Amino acid sequence: MWASIAWRLFWRELRRGELWVIAFALFLAVGSVVSLSGITEGVKSALLQRSAQFNAADKVLRSSQPFDEQLFELAEQQHQLSTARQMQFDSMLFSGDAMQLATIKAVSSSYPLRGDLVLYRSELVTAGETAVLTPGQVFFEARLFDLLGVKVGDEVELGLAKLQVGGVIVNEPDAPLSVFGGSPRVIMHLDDVPATDIVQPGSRIGYRYLFAGDTTALAQFEAEANDKLSVHQRWQKMDRESAIGGALERAERFLLLAGLLGIVLAACAAAVAASRYSQRHTRAVAIVKALGATTAQIRLIYGSHLLLVVLFSLVCGLVAGQLAIGAVQWGINLYMADYRAEFSIRPLWLGALTCVICALLFAARPMWRLANTAAIEVLKQPAAQFVVDKLQWLTGAAAIWALMWLFSGELVLSIGLFLLCAGFAALLIATAAVIVRLVKPAAAGQASAPKLAIANLRRRLWANSFQLITFSLAIFLALLLYFLRAELIGQWQRQIPEGAPNQFLVNINQQQRTVLNNFAREQQLQLDQYYPVVRGRLLSINDEQLQQEATKEDRSQQRVGVGRELNLTWLTALPKNNHILQGNWFTEGATAQVSVEEEIAERLEVKLGDSLAFSIGGQQVSAVVSSIRKVDWNSLQPNFYMILSPDLLADFPATYITAFYLPAERNQLLNQLARLLPTVSVISVDNIIAQVNDIIDQVTVALSFILLIICLAAALVLVAQVQATLEQREQELAILRTLGARYALLRNALLLEFALLGAMAGGFATLLAELMLLLVQQRVFELPFTPHYSLWWMGPALGIGMVTLLGWWQLRRLLSIPGAQLMRRVLQG
Amino acid sequence: MNTPEVHINAVRLAKSVKLTEGSLTILHDISLTINRGETVAIVGASGSGKSTLLSLLAGLDVPSSGEVHLAGQALHRLSEDERAAIRAEHVGFVFQSFLLLPSLTAIENITLPAELAGVKDARERALTLLKQVGLSERADFYPAQLSGGEQQRVAIARAFITRPAVLFADEPSANLDAVTGQKIEDLLFRLNAEQGTTLVLVTHNDELARRCQRQCRMQAGRFIDTTTQDLADVG
Repeated sequence: MWASIAWRLFWRELRRGELWVIAFALFLAVGSVVSLSGITEGVKSALLQRSAQFNAADKVLRSSQPFDEQLFELAEQQHQLSTARQMQFDSMLFSGDAMQLATIKAVSSSYPLRGDLVLYRSELVTAGETAVLTPGQVFFEARLFDLLGVKVGDEVELGLAKLQVGGVIVNEPDAPLSVFGGSPRVIMHLDDVPATDIVQPGSRIGYRYLFAGDTTALAQFEAEANDKLSVHQRWQKMDRESAIGGALERAERFLLLAGLLGIVLAACAAAVAASRYSQRHTRAVAIVKALGATTAQIRLIYGSHLLLVVLFSLVCGLVAGQLAIGAVQWGINLYMADYRAEFSIRPLWLGALTCVICALLFAARPMWRLANTAAIEVLKQPAAQFVVDKLQWLTGAAAIWALMWLFSGELVLSIGLFLLCAGFAALLIATAAVIVRLVKPAAAGQASAPKLAIANLRRRLWANSFQLITFSLAIFLALLLYFLRAELIGQWQRQIPEGAPNQFLVNINQQQRTVLNNFAREQQLQLDQYYPVVRGRLLSINDEQLQQEATKEDRSQQRVGVGRELNLTWLTALPKNNHILQGNWFTEGATAQVSVEEEIAERLEVKLGDSLAFSIGGQQVSAVVSSIRKVDWNSLQPNFYMILSPDLLADFPATYITAFYLPAERNQLLNQLARLLPTVSVISVDNIIAQVNDIIDQVTVALSFILLIICLAAALVLVAQVQATLEQREQELAILRTLGARYALLRNALLLEFALLGAMAGGFATLLAELMLLLVQQRVFELPFTPHYSLWWMGPALGIGMVTLLGWWQLRRLLSIPGAQLMRRVLQG
Repeated sequence: MNTPEVHINAVRLAKSVKLTEGSLTILHDISLTINRGETVAIVGASGSGKSTLLSLLAGLDVPSSGEVHLAGQALHRLSEDERAAIRAEHVGFVFQSFLLLPSLTAIENITLPAELAGVKDARERALTLLKQVGLSERADFYPAQLSGGEQQRVAIARAFITRPAVLFADEPSANLDAVTGQKIEDLLFRLNAEQGTTLVLVTHNDELARRCQRQCRMQAGRFIDTTTQDLADVG
């Protein structure tokens, strides 16, 4: 029986506003969670897939020991993954009398699993017939042809094997992205390795296992393989290696937390609407109870209303969220044709969980309270103003914190953020209370719009404080996002400004510098500064010899060194994107000093004042650590672990690195450059720049989307709040109209009331946004603070505009009802 | 002659409410016995405590002290839900401000108590009652579309749908004009007589009170006078 009563009441109640406000608020919460988390997952997956292309596989296992066939069997047979093998080692190549140290990569036929290996049957990377790697052939990096003096079709010796030069490497997906280059690169077939007889016990050979396939299968395989891994085998990190990995991670957290605040606003709207719904139904419940309904029956009736609204919002929210994800995946496909969209369940359950938390902790409490209404209320006058009880504040606060935890995944961060928000709310309430109390009502006399408006604001102080908090928060977020978006995009663009060097030249010798300078002048290319590079090995710290090879088996107490040769440089000025953390940069005339990068200093346990000894070209050089530097590894410029004072290295033969910007349409210049300076390597970072730009675009879209959600949620809060005061306002208007107040007076009072509320919210928001921007500018972007003048008019204008328009839109109908009709409505209750 | 069956029995009822400045006693030491089928008017000026007494007799509220028995059940010992069950089975209400649910139509308002009590033929009963109160044509009207008199007729039909043993009416005609009020009173007493219901009527209208067999006059929370009419005088 209760079901038919519940259904009838529900159906009729849909015509009133509150259930729709609750439904829309929950829909907004679910939809935004699903789409935001789905979109960031999509972007992340696109990034991972792109980084898979840079790694030639989805997963790479590195080892210093020969291939373990068990792992390949496990991957191929039990998890249906594709596999490839790769070995890498340094060796000498011989051609007649010429010889050259090269980095040899031997790969199996299935290489690469992701991305493309492009080989040309030519000595030049710009033109030639496409070739396929087959056993018996080697392919060279362009500069090696000149270094060895060979052509395509010539024979070279590698170890005991004789191999034919097949052509040039045009694109190697997993080539190391190092501006230092190192030895020239060679690709050969894995099947030829035994014939070289290079692999001997103790040879330094890197083995790589390449895997690709379905994400789930990969994850299962990884989990299973982990049990079988030896100390020599470790997984290669995939996403962090790209220069923008860190930036994307920060952006994702920022997006989710900003989106969360929109969700919290929506949940507040749901709470207000549910309170209002309950308050309006108190009389009905008392009547039905007087007629014999039990508390359980009432709970079933109103619980089913909430359940229906939740189900409706959940389904609509999930569908809308999925559509948004679909749209973004379609967008990713436009610029990344081979992007494989993957369905993920995570956004869906995250959305559903958010909906349940919002419904249970924000909206269910008033409904629960409603069922406790005593039958005796039937004989009392209904209260005109809704009251939010303490427990509802508590459950609401708990829900906000739970959501923060859910989204950030970090307990400490969520507690900190929650306390910050609570403090902010308390501050706003206190300030609003002071302001409203300070504005004294005008002396008795003629009724005026300002007097009525202020009286209204004072009377609804608590309800207004809540509105003020939500509105200030919404406007604050809108302003912050708007300005931060500009700031964030600006920062990324500054990192890769228009015309930033995109071609790096390495291995330039002293004579080639002149040739290069002339070439640049002729072609009107702007060369970056030359960084000298001298390779050296760190031998000892404070006369303590370093262990040169880090192995897990070695239990000696000896300090572990870097394990490879370092690229050392000398500079007089501190490079861009470097900051001194401890000590001082070299003063003029400084002798025998070294500046050490922070991470390596920590790893080697190096402190200021320590003495480091290097072996450079057979000579030993000592330097005292005079500073510890922080380096921005995301910046696209040469970065160095060790920078020595000029006196130490100036006499050693050095190679140089420089860079220039080349627009895509002038790429043929690279051929000329290759012919002119055959031993110089050109490294293009166009791919990375394109990737960063893609991400900037994605994040910009996501930020605009969050802005929209926040504005919608804030509007919803105001709609719910105004609805909650509708009956009280109706009564007041009826009395004022009966007493002869004119339409214009009432209209102006109403407009002024909302405008004042909006101005206060806008003012608070502006102040907070400016403070937050100051913090972000100085701490995150490390820029000097510049005031945002436009913020100071945008905030209040936004507040006044939004609040007045929304308030007027809701109450204009009430004003247009004739006085007599209004009175009748009020008297009928 | 059979001894009349006692239907409602109140013994030394008192009701106080807590205020910020202390407590206020609204009812003092009220004892009252109402027999099955009897019509009793509780008369008094505004604030005399008559509505509070009605709320205690009907089990809407519990007394601060004293006992109330309705249909053999000790209401003062029962929980809110247990009292609701007694009301669903034995009690009908007519209120001064009609108290119809605005989102239900006339017929849905009438069937509501029957549906809550699980009565199977609720709709048929409601249609009969609508006919008896002269509103068959307005079955699907919402309260806002009905006049005050029509709303009260719907409320009376609602009160009788569960065929209650006792009907509580709180100022049933106070919100209506004299002519409509008179018609409502006639309807109430006619249906009451037809169904043999015990009637407890709260009013400040002496003329209406005189239509009951007994009038209990209240002042400042106490009975000051009880008058019993001859059945012949009751109209």
